[in-house]
Amino acid sequence: MPGVAPRLLVVEDDDPIRTALRWALEDEGYDVAEAVSGEEALAAVGTATPDLMVVDLMLGSMDGFAVIREVRREHDLPIIVVSARADTHDIVAALEAGADDYVTKPFQVKEITARLRALRRRAGSGAPAASAPAEVVLDRTAPALVLREAAGTVHRGDEQLPLTLTEFRLLCELASAPGRVFSRQVLLERVWEHGFFGDERIVDVHIRRLRTKVERDPAAPRVVVTVRGLGYRLDPQ
Amino acid sequence: MRGALGSRGLRSRIVMGSAVGALLVSVVLVTTTWLLARSYLLEQREGSSTRQAFADANVLGSRLATAGTAVGDVVAELAPSGGADVVVRSGDAWYSSSLDVGARDVPVDLRAVVAAGSAGTIRVDTPEGPALVVGVPVSSAGVEFYELAPLTELQQVLRTLAVVLGAGALAATAAGAAFGGWAGRRALQPLEQVAGAATRIAGGELTTRLPPTADPDLVAIVAGFNSMVDALAARIERDARFVGDVSHELRSPLTGVVTSVEVLATRRGELSPRADQALALVERELARFRQMLDDLLALARLDGAPPSDPDVPVSVTALVREVLAAGGWDRGLLHADPEDVTTVPGDKNALERAVRNLLDNAARHAGGPSAVHVQRRDGVVVVSVDDDGPGVPVEDRERVFERFARGPRAARRSLPGAGLGLAIVAETAARHGGAAWCTAAPSGGARLSLSLPVGAR
Repeated sequence: MPGVAPRLLVVEDDDPIRTALRWALEDEGYDVAEAVSGEEALAAVGTATPDLMVVDLMLGSMDGFAVIREVRREHDLPIIVVSARADTHDIVAALEAGADDYVTKPFQVKEITARLRALRRRAGSGAPAASAPAEVVLDRTAPALVLREAAGTVHRGDEQLPLTLTEFRLLCELASAPGRVFSRQVLLERVWEHGFFGDERIVDVHIRRLRTKVERDPAAPRVVVTVRGLGYRLDPQ
Repeated sequence: MRGALGSRGLRSRIVMGSAVGALLVSVVLVTTTWLLARSYLLEQREGSSTRQAFADANVLGSRLATAGTAVGDVVAELAPSGGADVVVRSGDAWYSSSLDVGARDVPVDLRAVVAAGSAGTIRVDTPEGPALVVGVPVSSAGVEFYELAPLTELQQVLRTLAVVLGAGALAATAAGAAFGGWAGRRALQPLEQVAGAATRIAGGELTTRLPPTADPDLVAIVAGFNSMVDALAARIERDARFVGDVSHELRSPLTGVVTSVEVLATRRGELSPRADQALALVERELARFRQMLDDLLALARLDGAPPSDPDVPVSVTALVREVLAAGGWDRGLLHADPEDVTTVPGDKNALERAVRNLLDNAARHAGGPSAVHVQRRDGVVVVSVDDDGPGVPVEDRERVFERFARGPRAARRSLPGAGLGLAIVAETAARHGGAAWCTAAPSGGARLSLSLPVGAR
């Protein structure tokens, strides 16, 4: 969709930050909508139909976690969390609520735009490699679990699973070489485009979320398995 | 004396005190017993000897009453019991029942008493041992009768008694010392528990508490200790929360400023040259402010609660390579033996910051690092950053790791940096069970090193 500015919703209760962020993101070519509270954010998701969201965790009556959880019920758009602290459990809680990535204050706008671009890249046409098979059967036991990368869908039998774009991209990455171990580092670089010092908790939380959707028993995963000390592997059943 | 006692341990003082106490008590008891026994036995012996002497004197008197009996014959016939000997004085003549005794054995004092017509008793020391001399005047025959009863046997008994009592006193002293040792251990056990708990708390285990006790003597100590730890834990938690609050409060306005300045920076072309210069200055100062806040919060985190994230295996060589790349330094600066396994358990972000701070320090004070070594040496991985600067004088080599301690040139040239970088390096090293130190590089510049143990911290 070249030429059409991606729509972005900024949820932030601090007026100077929100305003400065809107200016900076508009400079970067985004069509920015603002929300100052959780309630307003939920309304704006319906009316402004954003392609991306930037959410501050510290909001008024309805905090960022609740906003993310509510949005995730209906939408798979990429969500970036803005937090004042990188070393707390807030980050993990936000990722578990459904956030795709995070930045910590004080951030530079180019950090946010880099993250947004990475998320947009996989949220766009998908652009799978030409060699990618039309479908990959992840679990042949009926009802079968089937990944169709080009279509951007995962089905269990006739039911389409509600994967977020990041979860879908993560699954595609693992499915690109079934049986091969991917380190957290590699997954961070390929899916989130983070460098060496990226936060590996992001991978772990997304794997956890992915399992609750694709595994028959998420407590005893068989498709997306952990390789202790090394990373993760996809084992088609 | 006090000093000598004071320098001993509490336990040895308790042992000594109770041993000395037991010794004193038993000495008093033993002495009293011995004296009482001695005087009682002596009295007994004196009584029986006196009775015997009177009886023998009577016999002598009645024999001599028979006319024509010679004193010498009667004396020879007298055979007192218990090995006693008899000496009789008749006029100037002395008679004795044995050749071993004679007038020389009768003390002059006693002789005077008997000559005055009274009976008397006196103790003497003879070559054979102590003896009792009883003198009885036999006025009917006009002779003085003396009987010498040996006390050797009694002395033997008393000596045996003394040995037994002495041994008893020693045994009581030893028992006192043993009791003291036991009581001391019992008394110190709670203190040792307190010491152990305090050590664990100092090591960061803030959940450590003393187990509740029913001992009324210890309830107050245990309660006092536990409430102190509660207060300490609450204080630490409050401080940590305060750091979090400060972090949020400072970061939010800073974020607004940083973002606004970025918006300004994209419109550089619209600014007058002076405004552009001012913007450049704001950007520089803002970067410095960010760095300072970041360092302060990093240090506050290192000071605060124990690490919340579990340690992960970190390859130090790979980490240093990435930090060099991220900072735009030449990768060729890194010298590491590819054979070395340089993986340590640690906090990757904290280690990254520490290595970055070492490189930044070299950049600030010497124009950049000249070499970075990663080596494995017995049980630790050592990262050393060399520079070609003026080096650090020996007296400043510890001070550079203190907070807000700047290098000597920084003060003159007003280089950026809050002087927290190396303090963070030292704290991070300590957190990982390692150390940080400063030496001279072969080139004459400074060499700052950081060691990290390969074993779990």
